[in-house]
Amino acid sequence: MTSPVPTIPDSDSDPMAPEFPPSSDSRLRRRLTGDRIVMRVVLAVFIVAVVWAWRHIEMSFGGLIAGIGDVRNLLGRMLPPKFSDLDDAIRLGFETLWMAVIGTTIAVVLSFPIALGAARNTTPHPAVMAVCRGVIVLSRAVPDLIFAAIFVRAIGIGVLPGVIALGLHSIGMVGKLFADAIEQTEKMPREAVTSVGASKWQAITTSVIPQAMPSFISTILYRLDINLRSSSVLGIVGAGGIGFLMQANLRSLQYDEALGVVSVIFVLITIMEFFSAAVRATLLGGDRTLVGRSVPKFSLGARIFSRFWSDRMKNDIGVRPFDREKIRPPWVGEVRMKTIYGLAFVALVVIAFRSVSLNPGELLGALPDVWKVTTRLFPPDFSTARDPIVDGIIESVAAALVATFMGAILSIPLGLMAARNVAFNRIVYSVSRLFLVLVRGIPELIIAVIFIAAIGLGPVPGTLALAFGTSGFLAKLIADAVEEINPIPREATFATGATKTQEIATSVIPQAMPAIVSNLLYALDINLRTSTILGIVGGGGIGFILFNALRVLQLRTVGAVLITIFVVVYSIELLSGWVRKRIL
Amino acid sequence: MTSPLPDNAVRVTGLSKKFPNGPLALDQVDLAVPKGQLLSLIGLSGSGKSTLLRHLHGLIPPSSGFVEVLGTNVVAAGRRELRELRRDVGFVFQSFGLVGRLTALENVLSGALGRLSGPRFGTLMYPKALRREALENLDRVGLGDRAFQRSDTLSGGQQQRVAIARTLMQRPKLLLADEPVASLDPESSAQVMDVLFRIVVEDQLTVICTLHQVELALGWAQRIVGLRDGQVVLDREVDNLDESAVMEVYRRVEPGRSTDASVEKPSVPSSPRVA
Ligand SMILES: Nc1ncnc2c1ncn2[C@@H]1O[C@H](COP(=O)(O)OP(=O)(O)OP(=O)(O)O)[C@@H](O)[C@H]1O
Ligand SMILES: [Mg+2]
Repeated sequence: MTSPVPTIPDSDSDPMAPEFPPSSDSRLRRRLTGDRIVMRVVLAVFIVAVVWAWRHIEMSFGGLIAGIGDVRNLLGRMLPPKFSDLDDAIRLGFETLWMAVIGTTIAVVLSFPIALGAARNTTPHPAVMAVCRGVIVLSRAVPDLIFAAIFVRAIGIGVLPGVIALGLHSIGMVGKLFADAIEQTEKMPREAVTSVGASKWQAITTSVIPQAMPSFISTILYRLDINLRSSSVLGIVGAGGIGFLMQANLRSLQYDEALGVVSVIFVLITIMEFFSAAVRATLLGGDRTLVGRSVPKFSLGARIFSRFWSDRMKNDIGVRPFDREKIRPPWVGEVRMKTIYGLAFVALVVIAFRSVSLNPGELLGALPDVWKVTTRLFPPDFSTARDPIVDGIIESVAAALVATFMGAILSIPLGLMAARNVAFNRIVYSVSRLFLVLVRGIPELIIAVIFIAAIGLGPVPGTLALAFGTSGFLAKLIADAVEEINPIPREATFATGATKTQEIATSVIPQAMPAIVSNLLYALDINLRTSTILGIVGGGGIGFILFNALRVLQLRTVGAVLITIFVVVYSIELLSGWVRKRIL
Repeated sequence: MTSPLPDNAVRVTGLSKKFPNGPLALDQVDLAVPKGQLLSLIGLSGSGKSTLLRHLHGLIPPSSGFVEVLGTNVVAAGRRELRELRRDVGFVFQSFGLVGRLTALENVLSGALGRLSGPRFGTLMYPKALRREALENLDRVGLGDRAFQRSDTLSGGQQQRVAIARTLMQRPKLLLADEPVASLDPESSAQVMDVLFRIVVEDQLTVICTLHQVELALGWAQRIVGLRDGQVVLDREVDNLDESAVMEVYRRVEPGRSTDASVEKPSVPSSPRVA
């Protein structure tokens, strides 16, 4: 705020950028052309790939319409939802929540040292940095459901393999974001602390960690949100939680019961999203710049909680009386808020462990088994199932492409309707937002399971489910991006007498385009990961061979599948990361 | 000027620094600072003031020359020796170097880390005696009642005073200050310099302080040393100093060099402002 410290350039910014840009005029022009070229090439490649993929998974408009009919039929049989084992559903719903809490806790505990090792400015040694970054990349590329399926084989059915899977997979995101936060801290405070003769670790704990803290908290809450979605499907592979109940209901053709379970999942996820957004907004309100996009500005939670926030601001500025004898932080404002939230979080973790009757000792006890099964994945055996692996991964990529494309087509109108500065009127806006909440509250894999029940096995229902989920996810991002665009060019366009549609086409879409393309690539990334597990529920792709090999304990084939998934997912991630950096 | 007495706090002889593919930042600098002296270092931007201070703190190795601070040969010192030396040398930065999210008191307490072992989270992890000492130091800079205010909500001048209180926690024998008031308005500058002056006199500290404002330097220091292009071009007691001698330091002479200066100037913001 008042600090005149020059902001340290974002370490992620383009390293190719010249230190002293030429005149701003030519810079503007050059960047724009660069953007356009990259964007057009990306779009062209993407469209060609989608056409190929569309044919590859034998998608057709006729099939699509038939599929929609099938889903409608199934929905007809699902409605109204039945809640005959609501008690069970609620109990399992809580179990799902506790699993998410424990999984996130494991991830945070593991990610913290890994991030310190992976961040350029805190790593003890370049070799340590390489190892830590490797762990992060690996654990992100392997979906949690795959981890879970493997661990269920290693330590048996139950909550334990589920939480370990959640924990390990989450390191990928949590570790990465933690390390980024550490790297983005200001250098000066640390040098100042070092200059008084503090050791390296003293300087890190006193100056680096407090700076990165808001970002840490935001990441943890965000991940908790994601892990709740994941843990609600882990039951499908026997790794605990409510997913198991839904699967069982579907298997026994009790569709109305299944919808009842899905409703419980939906309520759970939606409440969690609300809380996590609200807590983030309260706890981090003053550090909004540090946490960036992940704090929603307009969320209901943020608005409700902002009352507390403004109270806190009043308490934190100016002289705060305290006891000069004891010299303890006065029990007001931020201190009180942090303590309360901190204790609440600890209590939550304790309750979680108790409720699923796990103790940390058991967690550690499972590690040897996990390690044993991991070593048995190597050396990977690519020969036994070479063709299915190759076919499977190609099918997964194709499904991801088609799903991303279809999701994008659906999401652009949806996203525009859900942006408050573009929506034609408040009703359209509210209905669209409500629809987005609905779609986002149901994990994609659950949609996939339902679609497969309706349409039958194969990549088409899996792809449709992914497309559906993507549309919700993308539409939200697009709506948020559009809400943030600069209003001036829009007014200029109106001033020329353009109609609303013309205006959207000429000023809103071009302005939001980089954000849209960037989110599209992001969605492709995520869809590829999800499409590798669709096979586990019969939705086509490489997951099928993985699951089969696991069933017959051909662990070295599993190893080969994992490596294939890793290579493909990671390459696409690198590629899309590169493109996104270019266009943003 | 001053002959190298055994009780010099700082002794620099023949110090030169050439940055890899950079300019000759220091050129054969000789400087001896007796204990208890208040010395002000002046010079144009890029003249090497920060570089000299960074050498005194062992933050960068010299290209050639000898640096002794409080009896320690800085050039030859190992990591541990340097850490020990730094405990006795306070450093005040232009940009304060406070952790904005921590309270003023926590920032002050961090000045004691050199005396403690192990990491510290939060005020209460410091022993009460240290907490009291920290509060007293905050009182000395006039901010005792702000102890539990988040330091990024303090004004610039207040932040710099907190930073001074932090170095006091070191109980330093030598205080180095690199443009402590360069980013402050005149009023806060005067306030900060007042506080600093009172403290160094009370504690009989040796001080080397770089300053941009000549008037501040004249009103404050006992001795002025002027650098130009890495060379000492002025070294005099304030008593027998006149305006024109000072202005000489800021003269852009020597046709060959003047272009140098104008080329270097824009590069200054990009150079890592470590010291
Ligand atoms: N790390 C570095 N690498 C290369 N050159 C450097 C480095 N640090 C400083 N320099 C150069 O050394 C010269 C002296 O810099 P220094 O920062 O000591 O000047 P200064 O007198 O403190 O200037 P100012 O008043 O702007 O702070 C400058 O030309 C600067 O560009
Ligand atoms: Mg300087």
